[in-house]
Amino acid sequence: MKIGVLVKQVASGESPLRIDTSGKWVVEESIDFTTNESDSYALEEALQIIERSGGAGEVVVISMCPAERTPKIIREALAKGGHRAIHIQEEAPYETDPFMVASIFAEALKDESFDLILSGLQSDDLGSGQTGVILGELLGMSTATLVMGVELQKGKLRVKRELESGWFQWVTLPFPACITIQSGLNQPRYPSLKGIMGAKKKEIKSIAKSDVKGSGTPMQEFSRMYTHKAEKRTEMIEGSTDQIVDRMIDIFKKNIKVI
Amino acid sequence: MEVSHHVPAVLYLFALIAVVIFIYNLRRFLAIRIGKSDPDYKIKIIPAIFNLFYFGILQRRVFRKSFSYASIMHFFIGFGFFILLFATTVDFFVARGWFVSYLPHLDTPWFALLNDTGGMMALIGILMALFRRHINKPKSLPQDAFKGRGNLFGDSGVLLYILLLIFGGFLSEAARLAVDVQSSIAQYSWVGYRISFLFSSETWSALEPYLWWSHALLSFLAIAFLPNTKIFHAIISTINIALTDRDLRGKVKPMFVSKLMEDPDMDVDEISLGSTKLEDFTWKQLLDSIACTECGRCTNVCPAYNTDKPLSPMKIITDIRHELYGKYLNKKEVNGIVGNPITETELWSCTTCGACMEECPVLINHIPTFTDMRRYLVLSEGKPHPQAAESLEKTMNTGNPWGFSKSERTKWAKDAGIELPLMSEKKEADVLYWVGCAGSYDPRNQKVAKAMVKILEAANIDYAVLGNEESCTGDSARRLGEEYLFETMALQNIETLNKYKFNRIITPCPHCFHTIGNEYGDFDGNYKVQHHSQFIMELIDSGKLKLNKYLDSKITYHDACYLGRHNGEYQAPRKVISSVLKNGKLIEMERNKANSFCCGGGGGNMWYDIEDGERINSVRFQEAIDTGVDIVATACSFCTIMMDDALKVKGKEDSMQVLDIAEMVATAL
Repeated sequence: MKIGVLVKQVASGESPLRIDTSGKWVVEESIDFTTNESDSYALEEALQIIERSGGAGEVVVISMCPAERTPKIIREALAKGGHRAIHIQEEAPYETDPFMVASIFAEALKDESFDLILSGLQSDDLGSGQTGVILGELLGMSTATLVMGVELQKGKLRVKRELESGWFQWVTLPFPACITIQSGLNQPRYPSLKGIMGAKKKEIKSIAKSDVKGSGTPMQEFSRMYTHKAEKRTEMIEGSTDQIVDRMIDIFKKNIKVI
Repeated sequence: MEVSHHVPAVLYLFALIAVVIFIYNLRRFLAIRIGKSDPDYKIKIIPAIFNLFYFGILQRRVFRKSFSYASIMHFFIGFGFFILLFATTVDFFVARGWFVSYLPHLDTPWFALLNDTGGMMALIGILMALFRRHINKPKSLPQDAFKGRGNLFGDSGVLLYILLLIFGGFLSEAARLAVDVQSSIAQYSWVGYRISFLFSSETWSALEPYLWWSHALLSFLAIAFLPNTKIFHAIISTINIALTDRDLRGKVKPMFVSKLMEDPDMDVDEISLGSTKLEDFTWKQLLDSIACTECGRCTNVCPAYNTDKPLSPMKIITDIRHELYGKYLNKKEVNGIVGNPITETELWSCTTCGACMEECPVLINHIPTFTDMRRYLVLSEGKPHPQAAESLEKTMNTGNPWGFSKSERTKWAKDAGIELPLMSEKKEADVLYWVGCAGSYDPRNQKVAKAMVKILEAANIDYAVLGNEESCTGDSARRLGEEYLFETMALQNIETLNKYKFNRIITPCPHCFHTIGNEYGDFDGNYKVQHHSQFIMELIDSGKLKLNKYLDSKITYHDACYLGRHNGEYQAPRKVISSVLKNGKLIEMERNKANSFCCGGGGGNMWYDIEDGERINSVRFQEAIDTGVDIVATACSFCTIMMDDALKVKGKEDSMQVLDIAEMVATAL
């Protein structure tokens, strides 16, 4: 089994976010970068699938990010047990349109002929949740999203998908397949020092993004980035009890939207 | 007690056979050759001789808690046997006709008195030991008294055998006295003399040869199989005590991972990281395991054991021995001992508080051995405790185990309107104030950090902080066995520190204090480090700090393991507290100073929970409640967090307070 895993480097949850001068990205200097959470689960699932099938096969770690900062998470993924890596190096402005990102991956990976591609459900920074599915479609693979469990059957893949309100759905897919993984389905492993030492000798193939001819044109444009604003507003409500209650219900419904 | 001077020659033949069997059985000692060599270890003659006498023959640590039942019991057995050994040796010389003019005779009054007293002491001690194993039994002792943990006959079997020897000795002495010795002389053998009245001298005369021979043969049998029994400790533990380098005790060995990684010839599959196979341990670690007497003192004081977590330090040490003997004597195949018989949860339950090592009468070095096994789990297997893994990853990514942003390390000061002098701007200062991750990010400890600034300013100290350049010292990582992360942090901090000029580092965190002060030296980071208690005490003593004595409360001080047991500082924090007391009173908890009970946060336990049993901090805080105090004083970031949590769990927010000593001093300014 040949499995590709998409991993993305994102700002850690505790990083202070400040908008840069372009208004379209954050100031990276104050950010601590880390592996996207659901991607860690996807990698773990890939490693476990190989282990479950007796260790035969290969896990290829794939990431697109600037040259200077991605190798850390790629090396971490290789230390955890990935066999080799493909690094698509990009320069600012970074690709933010999921269709374009998927197209670039599709072009760069088309000759790899993966049996299975795993990615996290969505990235913790932009959170569009589409890259994995579009990539699957572009490569002509069967796709499933929000995967909470994976079972290998003869020539087929059976996955458990998370639906709303605690419901789940089992779906059987033919190979090749591309699925997006929900966090929490396994316990991602910690990179051992042996793994870190071994990772130094593993291959990381670097490709410049400009060398990959992505198909199609961008389907959406990133116009501006905002940080959330905390605001305090006070309204003194006066009048009879009925009027006060009416106004309060009105505020709860329309302004704060809690009822 | 010893008998005739007409020793038949055949006795020496039996003695010879006994000695040959003894030597054959002694071969288990050679099992330590399975261990690897220890390049850091060098035998130091003077300390070895000191250890041999002080901790070995005088058994200083056995009497650590002066009048405990076990120490009185061991005193009687141990010194009773020293006397009997002396008497037997003298008697052997006399029987051979050596140095006769210098030596006492069996019936020399003082010698007879001493001899019988020795026998009586041993008898009382043995009976006390049997009582302790069967009637008033502490739960830390081996559950099956007749099997022990791999010793021939277990504890009680050996005790009964010795009882037989003592009775035999007294009886054959009584026979000799009844038959050969005038009562005016015999009375000095005060035990045997009284027994001699039991029968007529004719009966004694008939019994004497049987008694004498059976006593002699039983004694030889005891000698022949001594190494297989628990009594082996009298030899092997003494050797271990002599060979223990007390300067290295408790020291976690550096692995120099970065050098390992640069080695082009290194074979990842072959290299062993941490310890699980017997070959991974050093010969001294294996000797430690053989030297364990199974007294259970380590387990009795272990905070994990005392809160029903699955850890008994004694069990781990004897597990190592069990596997070692299995491999060496019975050719058992031993691939690794981490997992089975030593479980991961046992290893993660250790808070590295050092109580076991403080207590151990035979100077076993528990913590580094446990750390080596944790290293195996983390470095070879990639299996730290799952909750700890999170904080380790955060430390790797952000330089602090909480995972807050590196760039916000001084936010606590900015938010409080404090302008911290930065080393990156000053380049030089008398004092480098190491705030630590807790002081920087944890809201409770930020108050301590602010108090420290107030103290530094009040004493007009020329100081600076590293600010965003500061990073976790790697303490938790190292205790958790993540030596790679520890080394990464250490090397990075050393590089930063070496850029600047300062006379000393001060820090309110004993973990930072211990790591920088005692462990960075291995990586060429040599600094004078003071804990804030020591620093503040100095400022008070030199008159640089003028304090208004204000405290009228009853207060107790909770010793931090890494300040107290690991670094011997018990006085400074107590003196600092005393200097702010007005009508207040410092009351000690039952367990204090070297006997203090851990808060539960050390050894990386700050970052995960072992689900079993009670929480360690709750148990400790209850002790403070029972002392009837209003304030629990701390001098450690982790202790402050753990005690503060326990205060809330116990619902004492309204009636009690947890305060770091710096906070009290800042209030007194």
